[in-house]
Amino acid sequence: MGGDGFDQMAPLIELKNLTKHYVMGQTVVRALDGVNLAIQEGELLAITGASGSGKSTIMHLLGCLDRPTTGEYWLDGELVSRMPDRQLAITRNRKIGFVFQTFNLIQRTTAVDNVAVPLFYARKSAVRGPSLKALERVGLADRATHKPSELSGGERQRVAIARSIVNEPKILLADEPTGNLDTKTGRQIMDVFHELHESGVTVILVTHEMDVAMQTKRIIRMRDGLIVEDRPVDEAARREAVAGQAEDAPPPVTAAPPMARKVGPADVKV
Amino acid sequence: MFFFRIFLMAMRSLTIHPLRSILATLGVIIGVGAVVAAMAILEGMGARFRSGFESMGSNRIYVSPALERRNQRVVGSFDSLKYEDAIAINKECPGVQVAMPQVSYPNALVKFLSKSTNANVLGTTELYTTVNSHEIADGEFIRPSDLQAGRYVAVLGSKVKRELFGGRPAIDECIKITGLLGARTFTVIGVMEEKGTVAFQDVDQQIIIPVTTAMAKLFGTKSIHAVVAEAASADDTDIEAAKKQIKKLLRKRHKIRAGQQDDFQVQAQKEFVEQVATFQKIIGVVLWSIAGISLVVGGIGIMNIMLVAVTERTREIGVRMAMGAQRSDVLQQFLIEASIVSFLGGAVGVLMGWGLATTIERITRVMETLTTGSSIVMALAMATAVGIVSGIYPAWKASRLDPIEALRYE
Ligand SMILES: Nc1ncnc2c1ncn2[C@@H]1O[C@H](COP(=O)(O)OP(=O)(O)O)[C@@H](O)[C@H]1O
Ligand SMILES: [Mg+2]
Repeated sequence: MGGDGFDQMAPLIELKNLTKHYVMGQTVVRALDGVNLAIQEGELLAITGASGSGKSTIMHLLGCLDRPTTGEYWLDGELVSRMPDRQLAITRNRKIGFVFQTFNLIQRTTAVDNVAVPLFYARKSAVRGPSLKALERVGLADRATHKPSELSGGERQRVAIARSIVNEPKILLADEPTGNLDTKTGRQIMDVFHELHESGVTVILVTHEMDVAMQTKRIIRMRDGLIVEDRPVDEAARREAVAGQAEDAPPPVTAAPPMARKVGPADVKV
Repeated sequence: MFFFRIFLMAMRSLTIHPLRSILATLGVIIGVGAVVAAMAILEGMGARFRSGFESMGSNRIYVSPALERRNQRVVGSFDSLKYEDAIAINKECPGVQVAMPQVSYPNALVKFLSKSTNANVLGTTELYTTVNSHEIADGEFIRPSDLQAGRYVAVLGSKVKRELFGGRPAIDECIKITGLLGARTFTVIGVMEEKGTVAFQDVDQQIIIPVTTAMAKLFGTKSIHAVVAEAASADDTDIEAAKKQIKKLLRKRHKIRAGQQDDFQVQAQKEFVEQVATFQKIIGVVLWSIAGISLVVGGIGIMNIMLVAVTERTREIGVRMAMGAQRSDVLQQFLIEASIVSFLGGAVGVLMGWGLATTIERITRVMETLTTGSSIVMALAMATAVGIVSGIYPAWKASRLDPIEALRYE
């Protein structure tokens, strides 16, 4: 869509001079210090930056988990920066999918029940069908009735991705989605994100790993609550990064055995 | 549908720590169990009381000396009621169908040869059989001539007969009854049919003798204990009319001046039954109030466990909020969970209370209990209400969590 150059699509996401301040006793922490950003529908981009630069803060705002101190956040034609809690919850439910570093699955229920959570809060009556379909999309249809404790880290993250897309959101927000996974599993997860991007979902990754960021089409670098760099990734470099992972993929003798995965402190207990 | 899913979700989280859930609901279980058992005993007593009177017409009126309890002593005119009063009521009160005098002595010693037993000695008239619809099984009943002559004749209750005579015939045999004036010899003229308990009196363990003989020869008294009268019908107006006539007549006979208190009391059985029913209701209210207090304690247990659950599941709440759960959804989830715990505790309590009541009945053998549907419903409703009330604060706390902080919670 919007390819003929004349009608420039209105951006899916638009941040206008967004700030987020935390008052800590006498001092004010400027977690975001005036951010302007526009993201079109269907983009695949990475937000990077050092620890404490404001990545998580911007993620929370983009994900409607929080409201900015000042500035405007327009999402899909709506001003969400001033929405009441209830509206924010509905917006999160309909338009946003979250993927966390620590998966955050509910331990006591099965994969398919975990995937169904957003449908449940959307008051959908048909739950099982769409949940199984979402699991199929991440290649885990055969693990539907397994509990998170019976799944590997990569599988858990794929369940989490299935959960994030089950409601067909416009935006997928992933905070260090490969941070708790070994390289090989991390690549499989990146493959899933690539596929979702190709099917039209807007994917925003927060990562401090450059080789992950290089696989996206746009890199936004943050420092001290400001965007200090916003550049497209050179297509050749991107192909190389994506291919680079493909090259490593064949069973490398030196790579960690698949079972030696890192299991996060992860997941919601109880 | 949504509600049903929340319900399933709550059920699932309860089964994670079954022991903990049980301990948390112990207060509710015990509170409900105790009140259900106590109510079963109360209802059982009430039912027994009512059935004790059911066999008698509800047109009954009791006349007895005016007694009252003062400083823990019974005072009043014990001997105000005379045999002649009963005769007069019979004759002069048009609203009274029948009036029967009686004196009774519990646990008198009765002997036949070497056998002996204790029996309630009832002195009354030939009216007894019709008034109490208690028929003679063998021999004959007291006749007016026995009364006039003050004869030493006795009619035995079926148990007394069995205890003294076994399978042998009792008619025309001589028994000894020990009264306040000493032992007297009576001739058995009849045996009553088996009837069981009437108005808490085991009439099979009873010996009926002429009231005149009982007064003069056995117990040395010039007064009777009561007059059992019957009004024309069980209608309130008929009963009131009969009562009025009796009162008027007795005041005249006892020479009570205007303004002076009666030395007798007249009470319709109906009123008595109603009074007991009111009393039973009051005890019921008291029991439920005590149960309410103990359920408050139970509610504290529920609140405690729910606060623990909210803390434990902080991250889960954060995740659910990120997935679009509204604050009201979270509130509902925990409220429903609290009421389910409490309801299930109540259900266990009902079973335990019922079991306890049944056990009491089995062990005592005399106490009848009755676990009514209404007390079960009431107990469950109270338990559920307790769950909702004690779930409010924890659920509210859960719903006010900040999603970002909840997601970060370890
Ligand atoms: N709730 C908070 N209260 C106070 N300061 C905060 C809070 N959240 C974030 N900050 C501060 O805001 C800055 C940006 O944090 P964050 O967005 O988490 O950075 P990043 O995710 O890039 O590591 C940091 O200095 C952090 O300490
Ligand atoms: Mg961070």
